[in-house]
Amino acid sequence: MDNIKIDGTDRSPEIDFDFANNTFTIRGESYPEDVTAFFGDIIAAFEAHLADMDGGAVEFNFELIDFNSSTAKVLMGLFDTLEEATETGVGVTVDWHYDAEDDTMEELGEEFAEDLEAATFNMKVLEV
Amino acid sequence: MLAKDLSEFRNLIQAQGIIFCYSGYITEAVLSGIGEALKQKLYLEDADKTRMRNIFAIFVEQMQNVIRYSAENDAPDDSGDINELRYGILNIGVEDDKFFITCGNKIQRAVVARLSGRLADLQKMTPDELKSLFKEKLRGPTEATSKGAGVGFIEIARRSSEVFDFGFMDIDDRHTFFALKAFI
Repeated sequence: MDNIKIDGTDRSPEIDFDFANNTFTIRGESYPEDVTAFFGDIIAAFEAHLADMDGGAVEFNFELIDFNSSTAKVLMGLFDTLEEATETGVGVTVDWHYDAEDDTMEELGEEFAEDLEAATFNMKVLEV
Repeated sequence: MLAKDLSEFRNLIQAQGIIFCYSGYITEAVLSGIGEALKQKLYLEDADKTRMRNIFAIFVEQMQNVIRYSAENDAPDDSGDINELRYGILNIGVEDDKFFITCGNKIQRAVVARLSGRLADLQKMTPDELKSLFKEKLRGPTEATSKGAGVGFIEIARRSSEVFDFGFMDIDDRHTFFALKAFI
């Protein structure tokens, strides 16, 4: 699958999905006008890739400054997808990067992590 | 008269601690524009980062609530309604060392009872209850089925430093003015 690279804007995050190396990054701020239009295709591509994997491992990096509740819904779906992928033998590592001075992003990361069992989850302080 | 009228208007706004005021159609483009101005203002105020981002996040949810609500309720038989519903007033200010964000817009009277009930429920919830409800809504069906009290209001409640305030005032037999004030 071709890699997906999208530059970030004021309202939408940078996307760097490297399918060949199985590393995936979402970085920046996210409160797009139409969350489905922004995330729909890239999440579908990621899910299709996971479904095609035969073992192996993926690394997902979240480096978010802030996001709105519609984006939170997308992220929740993504976390569920990542956890499900472990059931088919895919190794999953999630790194949640947060600004050390921002408690909200730290708490949101911990909340998403609560529902992960088989996936490895790491909290990392963002180098600003 | 011109200078006097505007000066009085300015005094009225200042007396309420309002530092930023917008009245007009609330659209995504307006959200972007005001958002940039608000960010710069917050950087200048030197608010701490958590607080600054919570203020900004609540601003975004308030604006997007109005935008989505008006889009969802655009009656095909009454093409003028979307403009009625999209017209809003946004105030950002400081009161007793806390920031506040008030947003007001017209809604259909038919939804008032349901919206009022849901907001009153949110007001009574503890942070843990809000967290559970937030996650439940994130996993639930999308916005269209949850008109008026979707995940946006929960987000506002969670990021506020104290319980939000809200109220309604009937305008005519079809419309009610809805206002919500959040404190950060």
